[in-house]
Amino acid sequence: MFLWQDPQFGNKLITLMAAAVLVIQIMMVAQRWLVTNIRAFAVQSFLLALIAFTIAGFNHAPHMYFVAGLTLVLKGILLPLMLEKLVAKIGIAQEIEPHWNVPVSVLIAGVLTLFAYVIAESLHRPDEAIGPASLGHNTLAVAIAVFLTGFYMMVNRRKALTQVLGLLCLENGIFLAAISLTYGMPLVVEGGVFFDVLVAALLLAILIYRIRETFDSMDVSRLSRLRG
Amino acid sequence: MPIVTILLIPLLASAATLAVRRQRPMEYLHVAAAAAMFLAALDVGAGVLRDGSVSWADGFLYADPLSALVLALTAFAYLMCAPYAVGYLRRDASDGVLSENGSENGNGAEARLRTYYTLTPLFGFAMMLVPVSNNLGVMWVAVEGTALASIFLVTFYGRRTSLEAAWKYAILGGVGLSMALFGTVLAYYSAHRVTGGDSLAALNWSVLVTRASQFDPTVMRMAFIFALLGYGTKAGIAPMHTWKPDAYSEAPAPIAALMATGVLNCALYALARFYVLAARCLGPGFASHLLILFGLLTVGIAVPFILVQRSYRRLLAYSTIDNGGIMVLSLGFGGALGPLAMLLHMTFHSVTKPLLFFCAGNAQQHTGGDALRKNSGGLMHALPISAPMLVLGTLAITGTPPFSLFQSEFLVLRAGFAAGQSGAAALFVAFLVAIFCGLFLHIAGMVFGPRGNGSRGDGNRWSTYPVIGLAVIVVLMGFWLPAPVTALVNRAAGILAVQP
Repeated sequence: MFLWQDPQFGNKLITLMAAAVLVIQIMMVAQRWLVTNIRAFAVQSFLLALIAFTIAGFNHAPHMYFVAGLTLVLKGILLPLMLEKLVAKIGIAQEIEPHWNVPVSVLIAGVLTLFAYVIAESLHRPDEAIGPASLGHNTLAVAIAVFLTGFYMMVNRRKALTQVLGLLCLENGIFLAAISLTYGMPLVVEGGVFFDVLVAALLLAILIYRIRETFDSMDVSRLSRLRG
Repeated sequence: MPIVTILLIPLLASAATLAVRRQRPMEYLHVAAAAAMFLAALDVGAGVLRDGSVSWADGFLYADPLSALVLALTAFAYLMCAPYAVGYLRRDASDGVLSENGSENGNGAEARLRTYYTLTPLFGFAMMLVPVSNNLGVMWVAVEGTALASIFLVTFYGRRTSLEAAWKYAILGGVGLSMALFGTVLAYYSAHRVTGGDSLAALNWSVLVTRASQFDPTVMRMAFIFALLGYGTKAGIAPMHTWKPDAYSEAPAPIAALMATGVLNCALYALARFYVLAARCLGPGFASHLLILFGLLTVGIAVPFILVQRSYRRLLAYSTIDNGGIMVLSLGFGGALGPLAMLLHMTFHSVTKPLLFFCAGNAQQHTGGDALRKNSGGLMHALPISAPMLVLGTLAITGTPPFSLFQSEFLVLRAGFAAGQSGAAALFVAFLVAIFCGLFLHIAGMVFGPRGNGSRGDGNRWSTYPVIGLAVIVVLMGFWLPAPVTALVNRAAGILAVQP
């Protein structure tokens, strides 16, 4: 039996890549430079596409090839390029100014990851040795960790663009959960979700541009005129 | 007429608007499309009453009584908003408001009008897609679509505050909807073992609901929590309601009215669908308790903000938050009465809320601001139509008899006692009384009083006739509800009622 036909090997490969996704996520939390952050997001999306591709190959889920391709093109290439262009266009300061400093942030990310494992444990069904659920254990934990850390990134950062990055990471976490739990959603849904993510990112980019023009700043803590 | 007609009309209208580019044709097109959509919604409703359900393309689009009701309510609100928007925007244009704060694609009023008449049908399209999409994933895409289509309607005036409102709306909405997506993924997972397969039908509500009792309960529980938080954000459930007053007060009045009716209904509709799945899988207890908790919190949180409010547009937003909370609470009470009360409340609210936003819009255009203090009263003399109707609407929305919302709120109360939640029901009444006092005092202070030295003049015909029409319907509805609507509400409540 060839190695690439052995589902066990496939699972190990996927778990390895999922671990890399988590590492990148924590790197992003610790990273202070905006452009590096965007590139880290691109690498993370690239890994997700690889995971989708691997699942498609090992588990004979042909529609996943399509999903993998979409992820690669949209999240791996198109969105990061657009965001970098935006950074260049509005000439913002490169450094992210988080509310909490890097060591505290990494610690929080660690705690969130731990918490994610606790949640994933309760969802795990050991009785299913085959099928998508068997993948779930580690990958689901990573997915929830990425989701929670993305949430933390949004809370912790003041610049509009970095909040959008957090939102995109959050979306990546959901995507990982979807492909690891159920081999992804039905194709129509997956396509719709991609379309929405793309449009949302575009609209947010335009909005950031206009906020920048009007307020001469991307610091969202300045958006505080509306109260009560 | 197949269901898909109602989705094609707004898409075509939006495309045609881009093509004509001139003000008059755009306006007529907008109103004609709204009328056509309403007729199509009535047709879906008639079909559902006749056959029990309507579907298209192997159940990709599917309407049961619940969908048909939400669809009809949204289409009705859209129909009312269309002519009002024409009058509202014409007045804005003649006041020169539209050419302030340069818009993004070329300055000036014309670009703004084009933005409005192109995006609003898309917004309508997304709102129509939510109730008729059978697949929970497609439903999510549609709810997200309502947010995407409306972001640039919130920034319509291009003021600093509208950018701020749009940013909060987009980011909070984005986080909320990603939680809802996670909930959808989890629901799919919990059903995966039962329904199997990667086919599209595996996420179809009509398939899921029949087998919900076999789903994995642990996963379903998490799915419901995420769906509640996610769609709850969209519905303005506390503590995720904070975007609402900002967005409602910055958007043009007709868009605020659409958001307060259409979007609210869509979000509650999605939440209700998940509630049924969760209740069938786990028994009604778990989901009901969460809904009661969040519903009460939402109604309660609106109280202080209504009492000390300084802007009447925000006041209306908090009133919408309060009404959303009432509907969630009512769904949580469950039994046979709870869902019925919720849907009746939704029906009455969808008719009454636009009236309030229209009157407030007219008042805002007259006074040039929405502060409650600046107007030292006396709007009655300046706006002989909109001001009295604002008082009428306020009385109706706070559930004063003989208006219809009194009936539905009373029914909520009865549902609460029937469910054995007398503590929650008592708190609910206390909150309602406080909200009545707050709203009525503010609005009365604004409307009554001696004649000021300001000019006199209501809006033009386009913006006053919808007000009069809605007011007539609001009064009429206190005494009489058309039989088909009653039938639809009753059957829809049957779908949401889950026996323990």
